[in-house]
Amino acid sequence: MAHDEALGDVGRRDFLFKVTTVVGGVGVAAATVPFVTSMNPSADLLAKATTEVDLAGMDPGHMRTVAWQGKPVFVLRRTEEQIKLAVASKGGLDPVADQQRVKQAEWLVVIGVCTHMGCVPNLEGEGWTCHCHGSQYDYSGRVVRGPAGKNLEVPPYHFSAADKLVIGEA
Amino acid sequence: MKKQLLALALCCVASLAGANEGVKLEKIQVDPSNPAVKRGVEAFMESCHGCHSLKYIKYQDLVGLGFDKAKVKEWQGDWTIDSPVMGMMPDDAAMASFGTIPPELSLMAKARDGGNNYMYSYLMGYYTGADGVTGNHVFPASKMPDPLGISSATEPAQRAEIAAKARDIVSFLNWASDPHEQERFRLGYYVMGYLLVLTSLLYVMKNRIWARLK
Amino acid sequence: MSNKIMQWVDRRFPLTSFVKHDLSEYPTPRNLSYWWNFGSLAGIVLVLQVLTGIFLAMHYKADVAQSFNSIQHIMRDVNYGWLLRYMHSTGASAFFLVIFIHMARTLYYGSYRAPRELLWWTGQGLLLLLMGTAFMGYLLPWGQMSFWGATVITNLFRATPFIGDQVVVWLRGDYTVGDETLTRFFALHYLLPFVIIGAVMVHLIALHMVKSSNPSGIDLADKDNIPFHPYFTIKDLYGLGVFLMVYFGFALFFPNLLIEPANNIPANPMQTPNHIVPEWYFLPFYAILRSVPNMVGGVVAMGLSVMLFAFMPFLDRSKIPGGALYRPIYRLQFYLFIIDMMILGYIGYVPPTDQTIVIGQIASVVYFGIFFILPFTSKIEEKWLRNRGLPAQVEALIASEELQIAQKKSGGK
Repeated sequence: MAHDEALGDVGRRDFLFKVTTVVGGVGVAAATVPFVTSMNPSADLLAKATTEVDLAGMDPGHMRTVAWQGKPVFVLRRTEEQIKLAVASKGGLDPVADQQRVKQAEWLVVIGVCTHMGCVPNLEGEGWTCHCHGSQYDYSGRVVRGPAGKNLEVPPYHFSAADKLVIGEA
Repeated sequence: MKKQLLALALCCVASLAGANEGVKLEKIQVDPSNPAVKRGVEAFMESCHGCHSLKYIKYQDLVGLGFDKAKVKEWQGDWTIDSPVMGMMPDDAAMASFGTIPPELSLMAKARDGGNNYMYSYLMGYYTGADGVTGNHVFPASKMPDPLGISSATEPAQRAEIAAKARDIVSFLNWASDPHEQERFRLGYYVMGYLLVLTSLLYVMKNRIWARLK
Repeated sequence: MSNKIMQWVDRRFPLTSFVKHDLSEYPTPRNLSYWWNFGSLAGIVLVLQVLTGIFLAMHYKADVAQSFNSIQHIMRDVNYGWLLRYMHSTGASAFFLVIFIHMARTLYYGSYRAPRELLWWTGQGLLLLLMGTAFMGYLLPWGQMSFWGATVITNLFRATPFIGDQVVVWLRGDYTVGDETLTRFFALHYLLPFVIIGAVMVHLIALHMVKSSNPSGIDLADKDNIPFHPYFTIKDLYGLGVFLMVYFGFALFFPNLLIEPANNIPANPMQTPNHIVPEWYFLPFYAILRSVPNMVGGVVAMGLSVMLFAFMPFLDRSKIPGGALYRPIYRLQFYLFIIDMMILGYIGYVPPTDQTIVIGQIASVVYFGIFFILPFTSKIEEKWLRNRGLPAQVEALIASEELQIAQKKSGGK
C-alpha cells in the first residue's frame, strides 16, 4: 500500500524523521525530571537535615544529647582519661581505631541508638550501657559486649567554628 | 470564526479577573531582582513587621535571599530560624488597638484583585482629609494607619522616596507570594522555544507525509 | 528476536491484531479537519492531569487544618512542586476548553446523529464525570472560594423532593462543609479520573464501531479512508504541539489568571467573600441557575441545561446530514448558541444587578429556546432546502436512508 511508502519514503531513513524523533525524545526525557525530583526531600526537610549544636559551656566529661533527623545524638567532651582509654584499644566486637571515629580527639559524636534493638544507652561504666539487653560501648562508642554487634554509628558532622558543631553535614 | 469568538471570550474573562470594583489602580512594574527584593525586606521589617506576619516565609528563607545570619537574627528575636516571620504585635493587642487582626502578608500579592497594583496603590493611597483624619482611597474601610507617611508628604522628593520604598515592599511581597516566579519564567522561555522547534518539525513532517496522498 | 517475542505474544493475546485493526490501519476519513484533533487532545490532557495529580497527592494533606498549608508546602518547598501545581490547575481549564470545542465540533457537524447516538451519550457521561471531578478537586485547596463554592453547590441538593435536607447532610458528611467533606472529596477526586479512563475506553469502542464522521457529512467511500498511522498520528502530534504552546503559555506565564484571588485566602466559615464565583467552565450553567428566582426551579433548569445535549439526536429531526454544512438555519442556531453561552458566562461572572439579571434571564430563555424549537425548525428547514435543491450526493444519501427505513418497516410486517 502506498501508505507504508508514505511513511517509509519520508520516514524511517529520513533525516527529518530522525531529528524530530530525537527532539521529541529529549522533551519527553526532560519532562520526567520534575516528576521524579518532586519525590526527593523538599527544601524545608533538607533545612532540618542539619542540627547546630553550641558547644560553649561544656566541661570535659560532660555529654549533651541533641535531636538530629529525629534521632538522639550523643555529643561527649572527653576527658584526657577517656581519650587515653579510647585510643588504647581498637574496641571489642567490631574493631576500629578511635582516630577513625573522631575529627577532634576531644569531641565524640555518635548516634545514641543501640545497634541491637534500638534503645537509647546510658552514659555509665566505661562508656555507655544499654539497659534493654545489656550491650556495652566504650568511650569511642565501640561495642565491647553484646548482644549488639556493631559500633554506635558516627553521623556526618563538622565544626563550623571552634565551639559550633553542625551534625548532618560532613 | 469559532476560534476568534473563543479567544475573545477568554480575553473577556481574563481581563475581568484582573479588574477592580470601582477604584482605579496605579500600575506598578515590580522589580524582581534580588537587590530590590532585599531592599523590600528591610523596608518591610522597618514599616510593616511591627504588626504584620509572613506566615509562609521562614527566617531561613531570608538567609536564602542573601542576608547575613546575624542580620536575620536581629529580626528573629527569640524565634527559631525555621519559624515563620511573626509580626511583633500580639493578636489581642491588635484587636484592642484596631478592632481587627492585621492580615498576614505572604500571599497578599495574590489574594487581591490587581495584586501588585493593588498593594502599591494602597500604600500610596493614604491621604489626610479636611478634618485631619487619615483615610485610604483604595480601601476606605481600612483600620490600618499610614505606614510610609505618604499622607503627610508634600515635597516631591519626599513623595518620590516613599514611592520607591513602596515599590520595594511590593517587590518583596510579590516574591514572597511566589518565590519561584523567576524560575518559572525562565523555564517558560525554554519550553516555548523548545515547543516552537518541535512543532515546526512536526508541521513539516505532517506536510511531507500528507503530500504522498494523491 | 523481537519478531519471535511478538509471535509468542500474538498466539496468546491479540496484541498485533488489535494495534493493526484499531490503531495503525484503522480507516479514517481523509478529509478530517483540525476540528477532529480535539478528541485525542482531551485524552492527552487526561493523562497530564492524572500524572500531575498523582505526584501532587504525594504531598497534599486532605485535612482542614493542613490542606491550605500543604499547598503552600508544594508551591514553596517541594522540588518543582510549583510546576506540578500550576500544570494541574491550568490543566483543569485546558480540559474543559478542549472538551467544549470537541462538543462544538460534534454539534456543528451533526456527528451526534444516527448511528452515533451512543458515542454522543458516552460523551455526555464523560462530561458529567469531568464536571464532578473538577467540582470536588476545587474544594481541595481549602481556600475561600473552595469552601464557599462547595457550600453553595452542595446546598442546591436541598431541592431534592422530600429528603432534600438529609441529602445535603449525607453529601457533606456533616451539617456544614468541613473535614468530612474534604476527606471524602479527596478520595472521590482521586477515584473518578480512573472511572473516566474506563469510560473513555467505552467511548472509543463505540467510535470504532461507527467510525468517525467527517466534514462533508456524507459517509465516504472506502477508497477515501486512509489508515490512522501515519496520517493522523502525525497530524495529532502536530496539533498536540500547538496545544502545548497554548497550555504552557498559561501554565508558565499566566497561571494565576485562572486562580481566583479569594482562593489564596484560607477558608473562613465565618466570612463569605464579596463575590462567590465558580471556575469559568461552570459560569454559563451557574448563570442559568441564578436566572430562575425559585431555588428548585433554578436547580432543575441548571440540570436540564447540561442534560439537554443528550436529546440532540431526537430534537434534530432533519434528514439532511452534515449538521450545519447544508443547513443555513441550523448554522444560525449554532452560532447563536455559542454567543449565548458567552453571554451567560459573562452573566455568571459579574455580581448580579437589575440589568444583568434580566439579560441572564433572556439568555437562559434563548438557551432552552434553541433546543426546544429545533424539532420544528429542523423539519421546516428540511422541507425548504429539499424544495430548493440539495447537492446530488446529499439527496442520494437521504434517499438511501429513507429506503432502508421503508425496507425495515415492510420486512418487519
